[in-house]
Order: sequence, then C-alpha cells, then structure tokens
Amino acid sequence: MTDLSDLELVELFQKGTESAFNELVRRYQEKIYWVARRFVNDHDQADDVVQEVFVKVYGALKQFRAESSVYTWLYRIAVNGALNSVRKQRVRDFIRIDEFFETADDEQEQPDIIAEKNEHQRLVEEAIAHLPEKQKAVFILRYHEELSYEEISHILKTSIGGLKANYFHAAKKIGEYINHAHRTRSI
Amino acid sequence: MRTEHVQYDLMDYITDRLNAQERIHVEAHLQECSRCMKEYQVMLLTENALKQSQRSEPAPVYYTTILPRVKERLVARQKYAWNDGSRITDIILPLVVSAFLLLLLIKIPITNTNEYTSAQALHQAVHDLNDDEVVQAVEKAYAGSSVSPNLEVAAAGVSEHLQGDRFLKTALSKQIDNEEIADIDIEGIISDLDGEQVEQLLSGLSERNRL
Repeated sequence: MTDLSDLELVELFQKGTESAFNELVRRYQEKIYWVARRFVNDHDQADDVVQEVFVKVYGALKQFRAESSVYTWLYRIAVNGALNSVRKQRVRDFIRIDEFFETADDEQEQPDIIAEKNEHQRLVEEAIAHLPEKQKAVFILRYHEELSYEEISHILKTSIGGLKANYFHAAKKIGEYINHAHRTRSI
Repeated sequence: MRTEHVQYDLMDYITDRLNAQERIHVEAHLQECSRCMKEYQVMLLTENALKQSQRSEPAPVYYTTILPRVKERLVARQKYAWNDGSRITDIILPLVVSAFLLLLLIKIPITNTNEYTSAQALHQAVHDLNDDEVVQAVEKAYAGSSVSPNLEVAAAGVSEHLQGDRFLKTALSKQIDNEEIADIDIEGIISDLDGEQVEQLLSGLSERNRL
C-alpha cells in the first residue's frame, strides 16, 4: 500500500478498500499537524484540527475527483480547518477574557512550558498570529511548508502575483513586529 | 525593472529559493535601490527571528495515535448521526419549513375569501339599501332578529351613534369602494366627520373590536 500514489489510494478507497484511507492518514498526518500547529500555536488545538480534517476527508473522499492533486486538496481542507479553529478560539477568548488571564498565570507557573516557549519564540508566534488570515496562510505554506507558488495558488485559489505580494507583506510585518517589540522592551 | 518586483522576491532570495538568474538580478538591484535595500534588512530580521525560534515537537508516539482517534470520531459521528447539526439542516429543517408553507397556502385563500365576502356584504349594506332599510336592519340586529353577520357588522357600526346619517353612509361607501373590510381605514372615514361624530364612531367601533 505504501508504494501506491495518492490518487491510486483514493481510487482504492472509492472502491471500498478502507485501509487506503489509513495509508493517506499516515502519509499526511505530520504535514497536516504542522500546518494546523502553525496556525493555532497550541498542540491540543492543532490535534483537534488534525482529527477534524481527516474526519472531513473521510466523508469527502468518495466524491473526490482528480481535478486537483490529493495533497493540495488535503492542504486546502487543513488550512480551512485551522482558520476556523482560530476564529472559534478568538470568540472563546473574547467571551472568557477573565479566564484567559487565569490560564496565563497558570502557564507561567509551569517550568516545562517556560522552557518550551521562550521569549523569542513567543514573539515570533505573536507576530504571525497578528497577520491577516490570507497573509498568514500564504506565509505558512510558503515559508514553513516550502510549497511552490503554483501549489499554493491551487490551495488558496489566488493568483501567483497576489501570493507573492501577500508573502512579502507577511514577512515584512513579522520583521517590523519583532523589531518594534525589541525596541519597546529595551527602552 | 520596477522596484516592487524585487521586493516580492526578497524573501525567496534570502531563503535561497530563486534560480541563478533571479539571484543575480536581485543582487544587482539591491546595489542601486535604497528602498529595496531597506526592505531587505527587514526581511533579514524576519528570517533570523524565524530561524532562532524552535517549536516543541510532539513525541514521536503522538503520530501513531492520530488514526485510531480519527476512527473513534468517525464511529461516534455515525452513531449519533441524528444529533449531528447537518442532519437538522439537511432534513428536519426543510421538512418543518415545507409544513409551515403548506399550512400558509391552505390558510391564505380562506382568509382572503372571508375578507372578500365581508367586504361585499358591507358594500351591499351601504350601497344597495336605502336609509330606511339600513335602519331596519340595524333595529333587527339589536332586537335579536336574524340578520347576516356581515350586515350586522355594517349596520351596527352605522346605527349605534349615527343612525340615518347620510354623511357617514357616503363616507363609508367611498371607503369600501377602495378597501376590503379587513383594511378599512377608519382615519379615511372620520376625516369627513366633525369632532363629535368622530368620538362617537371611534368609541362605538372600538367596543366591537373593529379597530
């Protein structure tokens, strides 16, 4: 099963071979996890996104037509799932603003989390989190996932010119955010 | 070449994702364009920050747990499929809406027919009867004699306070010519009456829930 192409796996699944889906999950779980993780900045939330993505994939695989490659299709579902998760989280944060502060205090007391999220890491995460959705998606797919503009264009349904502009503005904003933070904290 | 084209390639230049020709072009441009050089410095800062940041990796065993848990979710979703929101929106909601629309379709013609019949009856009462006949109908209604409900409505409104008043009869007639009974504009009628008549009409009609 591992030597089959993505498309062959999809065709097998469509003919009733359940294990073809298992192979697709094994093949893409790590990539999908990191896409989600970079969007949501939290392991548990990313884990939830990964599971939801594959549940959705399972339901939609029967109708999959090879109009795009399997992995760009998977990435599209993952990006949408991660964006939805971020939006829901924003609503939760807005509603439970008091609880948020309690959670933040709790986190500060755990040494392993302090080690995990150093100051620099937190700054980078903040900078990316502040990006507009589109720029964030382009940045993650281009910089971290190292996809080509053509591939990203299929995933996000955006022209390559638009993607390049988004990538530039995203990278610039991250640099400016970090620069501003360093200057503010050194005063 | 325009500056913005080089700007858009700067991050790819820094991360070594341009071909040789593109690299040469960017390097040449940076030497002569201070604006792009400034953007390049910001991009370098971004790249350095990203390089230094290291996210904690999940334990390798984590990836072996994904598939079983996805399967668990799938089983749970199938088991409680009827509790799924999509079932509500796909099946139950359209059924409820259809039933509601069906009820509306059944009810609307009946209401219209009633209103039309009432309007016709009132129209008859005012137009076709002479003053004496209207008064007679009113008296019969008050005496408990058999008068059609619609005629009773018309006659009672006319009779209680303004019996035999030709002015009101004309005003009412004009109104009925344009409106069905359910939509009678009392304001339209009373605009032709004096203050006392208006007071009498309004109090008389309101007692009969005509307003």
